Amino acid sequence: MKEQRIGWGQRLDKIMTPMFIAGVLFCVVAFVLSFTLAPLVLGAQVDTPALIGGQMVTNKLLLSQKIFYFHMPVAVVSMASLLFTAVYGALFLRSRKRKHDIRAKVATEIALVFVLMTMVSGELWERFEWGVWWTWEPRLTTYFILMLLVIGYFILRNAVGDPERRATYAAVFGIIAFIDVPICFLITRLVPSGVHPVVFRTDSGLAPNMLVPLLIAMLGFCCIAFALYRYRLRTELLLARTEEIKEQLELEGA
Amino acid sequence: MDPILAEIYSTVFQAAPYVIGAYVLMWLVLAVFVVISVNGLKRTEKQLAALEEAVNELAGKQQ
Repeated sequence: MKEQRIGWGQRLDKIMTPMFIAGVLFCVVAFVLSFTLAPLVLGAQVDTPALIGGQMVTNKLLLSQKIFYFHMPVAVVSMASLLFTAVYGALFLRSRKRKHDIRAKVATEIALVFVLMTMVSGELWERFEWGVWWTWEPRLTTYFILMLLVIGYFILRNAVGDPERRATYAAVFGIIAFIDVPICFLITRLVPSGVHPVVFRTDSGLAPNMLVPLLIAMLGFCCIAFALYRYRLRTELLLARTEEIKEQLELEGA
Repeated sequence: MDPILAEIYSTVFQAAPYVIGAYVLMWLVLAVFVVISVNGLKRTEKQLAALEEAVNELAGKQQ
């Protein structure tokens, strides 16, 4: 049974690099399609319409919306990573196995990276569209709380010295942090603000030529997140083995 | 430039630095994490190799 598990890990490690490359390629394709396939969205009306490329254009064209094609996928990946934090946290609380704690920690690291990516892309869109760096809009507020919770997770881990207690506290905190994810996801439905569109719905809020680059970008970032997770996990597992050997040497030395 | 087209594209030119900035910063965050991760794995592998060598030496002495 144990050999089977090791085999799975090795197999996943083998596809780690191809997954990362595939992820980057998907993102490149999504980037190209977001500027070629997806049209510029319309802004305020202009005084005099003009014929551009055989089409009558009556509104200003908004380039800033192009940020959305990468901004939303990284936000979704950050939330999905936190789901793994919560799942591994729950598994740790049930089994008390260190491997679950390590996996929860690595998943939260990935979540933090993608949260930061979401924040920087969102901030620049907001600065251009609204002329401010920050506003307490419902989605922004709930996502800001999520970022603070993810940062708090690592502060908590560094503050507790005993590994057993650290893992327990982190697992509980990770589960609590995850509670904000569905709130953040559903907030645009509960408190519509008109800024963050409801993209995932049965009639699909986006036209197919906009949805395609978005989904490809999402697939790309999922591949990248998975590859980075496996890479960091390998490091953490090696680090755990190093600690074990050190302890053994200390015991033998004593 | 035609004044009508200038008005239509006015937000495009102004938004360009922000769009470029958003893409660059996103990939920069990711790149920094990748560099830190690669360095971390290399350092850990070195540590592990040194420790395994020490363990082997210790085992050799005991025999």
